[in-house]
Amino acid sequence: MKNSLLIAKLFWQTTFKSKIVFALLAVFIGLVVYAAYTSYISYIKQNEIRSTYQKKARESWEANPDKHPHRMAHFGSFAFRIKHPLSMFDNGLDNFTGNAVYLEAHKQNTVNFSEASFSTGLLRFGEVTLSMLLQIILPLILFFLGFASIAQQKENGTLKILLTQGASFKQLIIGNILGLLGIGFLFLLPIFIVSIIVLTAQQNTIANAATTLRFTTIALSYFLYTTIICSIAICVSATSNTNKAALLKLLALWLLLTIVLPKTIQAIGTYIHPAPSKIEFETDVEEALLKQGDSHNPNDPHYKALKDSVLKANKVDSVQQLNFNYSGFQMKEGERLSAKVYQQELQKLNSIYKKQNQISYTAAFFNPAMAVKNLAIGFSSTDFEAYQQFMQQAEAYRYSLAQTMNELQIKHISNKKPLPTDKPQILEKSHWTEFPDFTYQHQSFNTIVKQQYSSLLALLFWAVLTSWFIHFSSRKAKAI
Amino acid sequence: MYRLAFKNFIRSKSVIAALIFYVIIGIVSIIIGNQFLQKQQKAIASVTQSQKEHILLNTSYIKDEFGLLMYYLKFAYINKPTPLTALAIGQQDVNTTIQSLTIRGLEAQRYDTDLYNPYHLMTGNFDFSFVIIFLFPLLIIAFCFNLLSEEKENGTWKLVSVQAKKPLQYLLQKIGIRYAVVIAVLVLLLVLATFIIGIPVHAAFLAYTITSFLYITVWFAICFFIIALQKNTSNNALLLLSIWLILCLLTPALINNYITAKYPVKEAYSTLIKQRDGYHTKWDKNKDTTMAAFYGIYPQYKNYKWTKPTFDYLWYYAMQHLGDAEAALDTKAMQQKLQQRQKASTTASLFFLPMHSQLQLSNIANTDMATHLRYLDSTAAFHEKLRHHFYPKIFGDSAVVGEDWAKQVPQYFKKTNHYTLYIAIIPYLITLIILIVTSLFFFRKNVNP
Repeated sequence: MKNSLLIAKLFWQTTFKSKIVFALLAVFIGLVVYAAYTSYISYIKQNEIRSTYQKKARESWEANPDKHPHRMAHFGSFAFRIKHPLSMFDNGLDNFTGNAVYLEAHKQNTVNFSEASFSTGLLRFGEVTLSMLLQIILPLILFFLGFASIAQQKENGTLKILLTQGASFKQLIIGNILGLLGIGFLFLLPIFIVSIIVLTAQQNTIANAATTLRFTTIALSYFLYTTIICSIAICVSATSNTNKAALLKLLALWLLLTIVLPKTIQAIGTYIHPAPSKIEFETDVEEALLKQGDSHNPNDPHYKALKDSVLKANKVDSVQQLNFNYSGFQMKEGERLSAKVYQQELQKLNSIYKKQNQISYTAAFFNPAMAVKNLAIGFSSTDFEAYQQFMQQAEAYRYSLAQTMNELQIKHISNKKPLPTDKPQILEKSHWTEFPDFTYQHQSFNTIVKQQYSSLLALLFWAVLTSWFIHFSSRKAKAI
Repeated sequence: MYRLAFKNFIRSKSVIAALIFYVIIGIVSIIIGNQFLQKQQKAIASVTQSQKEHILLNTSYIKDEFGLLMYYLKFAYINKPTPLTALAIGQQDVNTTIQSLTIRGLEAQRYDTDLYNPYHLMTGNFDFSFVIIFLFPLLIIAFCFNLLSEEKENGTWKLVSVQAKKPLQYLLQKIGIRYAVVIAVLVLLLVLATFIIGIPVHAAFLAYTITSFLYITVWFAICFFIIALQKNTSNNALLLLSIWLILCLLTPALINNYITAKYPVKEAYSTLIKQRDGYHTKWDKNKDTTMAAFYGIYPQYKNYKWTKPTFDYLWYYAMQHLGDAEAALDTKAMQQKLQQRQKASTTASLFFLPMHSQLQLSNIANTDMATHLRYLDSTAAFHEKLRHHFYPKIFGDSAVVGEDWAKQVPQYFKKTNHYTLYIAIIPYLITLIILIVTSLFFFRKNVNP
């Protein structure tokens, strides 16, 4: 251990002799500040805009006068997706998912206006987030600072001297890893400081114990990832005969792990599990709905049977004699059936998407960069699951809105068609304010842990694999 | 001499491996693009049939109320992808290509998205443009980074500079061979693409070819520049990779961050709410005022008098249209905001060729944002035409059977050409000239170490 620390110190001294590390650090900090600043501005502006419009939509909902509840079911509401504070750290899927959805009776609308749909195409190149700097840029810097460590000493013969002085190859490798990791810390530190600043600076109150816990998990994952990257750099350097060979191997590895593989593997997933187009999906929904019964069709057997059974149960022979509003009752049944059918079809679709993504999640066992990416977006609530959660909450709200209005109609609206001279069939507007506004609940920490266990496992697997690398390379490496 | 140098280059196992690898990923990207295109084409092909069935079904249920029927009927308006979409998917995976619209309020319908897997969108498309813009530069760097430095480090350069009278010519010959090989791979892949996808070799395909050809040439010029600085091999590798990282990854992403933060599109949300409120609040407002506003926009319908006391489809569709009319200013503001974004990124891209190439290739394939904006814009004209066709029938209570439904087939968006090749290639030419002149200068300066 003592030898290792000595070697680590030596590594530090050698690295800091050259000015290049300072230049890199300066550029890196510049990028960190820029990424944090733009993410912060986007986050604050977007959440402000979205909550403003959520409020506006609510105000006009509440401004409705006394009217028929079914008009309110059609008036509908909106769900705006509020960003999680940690999206400032890793924006994940946030730019590609819709941000606003119109919620009305009878119809499930798409979530529209994703940032990607407003993009000129530049979004294709990705964006600079704190997470991206840690995932892609920092490994490159560490590979660059670490490639020469042992290979250089081998090339100029100093390695033999070190080894004859009593240091073992393993100590040499561990020492260099520690040295490189120390420098890695220097780069991690500004990210964590800046993250804590922007997280505490945001005026939203979601920054609570859960956010701290999530951020700690992300920070630990990145710490582990950085350790893995440092170890790979030094092991490759130890097993290469020349400086140049070590550099080229590491650069190729970097390209493969951070750029080529993530994209290729997802492309494979999409190729193997093709998802239906919107037209196909809608046709499927329509067909399934028709099977259930068609509420348009006055002679539809399902609705006819329903009517007969209701009449029989209430011992009356026409709906006008019922003591509740029958058309409200039928709409309630229709909404229940159509929502169920839609959910079933949607789940089929989502399970295809999940299958596509599963390949990327499995690939994390071959690629630590993907493991840490999935963890970061998971715990930042910017992953596929978080988006699913939003859509489910929006649909649940839509359903409850439609059914609440149907209930009001069943209870309060007369079965008889009003004559022109009658009082119109309307309800007091206090009913509208009684129905609460949509609020988006982020997932709990435990739920995310359950969703991300495979990525957590993958990262731990890599930690074990890394210690084996160290062991393997210290046996394989040669002094000359 | 050339033949020997070529043999020397191609003999290396790693060179062969790299070339095979690139041909394979090129083909894979073409297949992926083709799958994407076919999926869209299949969906479009099925629209005609499904629209026919949809109309048939609804007209069989609703025979006597034209206004009620038109509440349900949907009409497709399609932005048919060009074959080149398969090579440059651009924004086409995010933006919808089929709009199914009822004659009710347009603003509540036209921004409806397609179905997609957001995780896939995040990792991005593996199309041929990606291979050209992102991956070809890496192949070029791998072929060129050690051209001179290795000879120097192995000590063969002295021999060469003694034997060859012109070291520059010798170097250019080596680069030229690599250039020819890379271009050959590009041409091979483009030829394969025409067969796999069935792209007609017309002006757009040639523009695509010329753009990718120039882009690759620029990367060779960048390599030539770094070689001319005559640093050692490791330095060259690092410098070139850093340039790649900065041009292909960092600058576009930094600019994107800036544009996103600078131009948030809040107008989209206000359009949504204005449309909803504009239409729905009319239910509680004075009906004569509503009708007066509608007649104000479309005086040609003044003959249809609103007579019924409670509900009438004339009044209903007037309310629907007023929702759109009240959201019109916000829609316009949103389009202007998107134009601003477009302008900002086009201007920035003039200085960064990977960005410029990405935008130009999708521009050529009509998969860019501008095309989509024009498509959205023309949706309004399509919608208005539909309404004017059906308004008289609804307002006049025509018979549903009297309508020639067979005529109601999907309509296609007519693309107009907004691409001029000679303007698009200017940034490449300027960059090439600057790079070649400075490289020659540095090479001459450093030629005798």
